Amino acid sequence: MPNNLSAKDGLRIIETASIPKGAVVINGLPDVGLVGLLAASHIISSLNLQEVGAIESDLLPPMIVLHGGLPKAPMRIFSGHGLAILISETVIPSSLIRPLANGLVDWARSKSTKLMLSLGGMAVANRQDIESPKVFAALSSKDLESMLRGSAEVLEEGYIVGAYGLLLSRCCEASVPAITLLTQSHYNYPDPEAAGAALNAVNVILGLKVDVSDLLKRGEEIRLRSKDMMHRTHEEMSKMNKSHEYDLPPLYG
Amino acid sequence: MSSEPRIDTSPSHVSGWNAATACIQPLYNLFVAAGEVVLTVDLPYVDQKRVKLSCPTKDSFEILAETTRKITFKDLGLKHRHGEFTCYHAIVRMPVPVDEKRATKKFKRGLLEVHIPRVK
Repeated sequence: MPNNLSAKDGLRIIETASIPKGAVVINGLPDVGLVGLLAASHIISSLNLQEVGAIESDLLPPMIVLHGGLPKAPMRIFSGHGLAILISETVIPSSLIRPLANGLVDWARSKSTKLMLSLGGMAVANRQDIESPKVFAALSSKDLESMLRGSAEVLEEGYIVGAYGLLLSRCCEASVPAITLLTQSHYNYPDPEAAGAALNAVNVILGLKVDVSDLLKRGEEIRLRSKDMMHRTHEEMSKMNKSHEYDLPPLYG
Repeated sequence: MSSEPRIDTSPSHVSGWNAATACIQPLYNLFVAAGEVVLTVDLPYVDQKRVKLSCPTKDSFEILAETTRKITFKDLGLKHRHGEFTCYHAIVRMPVPVDEKRATKKFKRGLLEVHIPRVK
């Protein structure tokens, strides 16, 4: 019987199988270049993680997605190898972002989450000229910098617009250790190479050995398959003023 | 249904897969800079030699790019939709006057980049 763990702000986190405490939670939500979604999906398939839950909300479009002939919620949680990975196969409406951040962090705290690791993209204008995308990290606490072990450069100043910004802030308030990895990527084109670079950083941070070669080899197929999702994500990013991330903060220090 | 090509300033919201014409509408982006308009188009499964650019009207660019292989919905795991696709096609309206004759293009990592000088 599904266990409805959270119903705050109309958000329901449903566990269909037990998710162990103390896991690392990885978020792969649709965002710039679909970097997080592509990277998280690749971890799920590479490590053969099992579907263990879903997130439902009245603020999501009334839809399901069929996989293997069975109806699935578009936002699902997969677990195994000490990980709990959240992905979304639908765009997250901006009205859901705040309840999602609040609900996820409350849930993560109840699960004694070891680390909340969010994967996203950082748009750069000359992306096609960059052979090896750089990875940047925003941290909920300075103590986490040692976990990066050179895999990412710490972001000191700037804006993060969308779910990952609020998640990081809420994690900071709730003392849930959190790292948001932002990898140089195309803004509105699916970017499997950037997802591969993000995964290399995840491998270093978590000590995993996820092979990214298949992700890179299937790059063209992934770009084509993700085209429609990227288009809808682009529309939602425009609504939430994602371009604000290019702005300079007026204060410093 | 009209046979006139549709002119968009952004990709179609409804569906970018036109089985009747075997064409896929690509993702594209326009950036208006001080001296030029930069058009980028994402073209997976395309060889740069198969990319054709033209200007059907003074204020638009047409991109036609043949794919290196036939793409089917079945290849992408969909059994209930039928269609084979052999090209990308889009007509993009320029938001400002441009000198289309001086346009330059480059193709790298499956991404077409067209620089079109603005008319002052």
